[in-house]
Amino acid sequence: MTELIHEADLDHAHPEHEGTGVEDRKLGMWLFLSSEFLFFGALISNYLLYSQRPGFEGVYPAEIYDIPFTSVSSFVLLMSSLTMVLAHNAQTREDANGARTWLFATAALGAVFLAGQVFEFTEFIVEFDMKLSTNPAASAFYLLTGFHGTHVAIGVIMLLSLWGISRRRGGLSDRQGLNLELVGLYWHFVDIIWIIIFTVVYLLSEPPV
Amino acid sequence: MSSPEHIHHPTPAQYWKIAVVLAVLTAVEVAIYYIHRDFDLGNFNTVLLIALAALKFVIVIGWYMHLRFENRMLSRFFTGGFILACALYTIILSALGAIALTR
Repeated sequence: MTELIHEADLDHAHPEHEGTGVEDRKLGMWLFLSSEFLFFGALISNYLLYSQRPGFEGVYPAEIYDIPFTSVSSFVLLMSSLTMVLAHNAQTREDANGARTWLFATAALGAVFLAGQVFEFTEFIVEFDMKLSTNPAASAFYLLTGFHGTHVAIGVIMLLSLWGISRRRGGLSDRQGLNLELVGLYWHFVDIIWIIIFTVVYLLSEPPV
Repeated sequence: MSSPEHIHHPTPAQYWKIAVVLAVLTAVEVAIYYIHRDFDLGNFNTVLLIALAALKFVIVIGWYMHLRFENRMLSRFFTGGFILACALYTIILSALGAIALTR
């Protein structure tokens, strides 16, 4: 009983900062995402520097991109943002089944994107002999897309955790609903980073002449 | 979350429409990539692709992340981080590019 009361207290504990009117955890998430721009900015700059520099031995990433395949991967990740926002919408309407279904769909689409990345890396290594250590351009490519993939993987784990909690308890409490919103923000952020990577790294990048 | 009764987030039908717009923009990006490959669009290719990516970026942040419906302070933090990152790396890339040219 005490635990139930404690949990109920926690469920209504949405501390809004007096000065800002924004919940602390939400503000923290936006600040974290804002700082992530610097992190990914460094990796994208690193790629831009080395991918255009001539004279390296071995193949350059821009010579072997499979644009149709990556376009489909991008589409999958973009659609996972739709399923994520539908999960959030279902949660605000207190539709536990709907939220669970869309959460699972988002995790599944994220997993498909990751599988595509594993396939792409494998093809680059096996078919084209472009390894992490082949040249600085290849290293920069694997570092950037690998870190993005790691972010997607962390997102999938968080989505599946929420899905599991919802399934076990028959729905998400208010507090867990806020968790769903925060995971949603993180997921959309991963998507917008991919929007940049897809354009800058895949569509605009050309090997040095 | 800001109290839902004060905020009118898009409906599921609107979210689907936004997804269609995003998908079409991605298809246009890929089409431009292939057009450029065959008919060299020059710098126009770069401008078009960056503009389309920026549009997708703004749509996802504004509607899917609900930033246009949120407290303005969050917008300032987020855009502040983005502008800071863009400015910082533009300076770094320009500086390193200049150094590479002198070698």
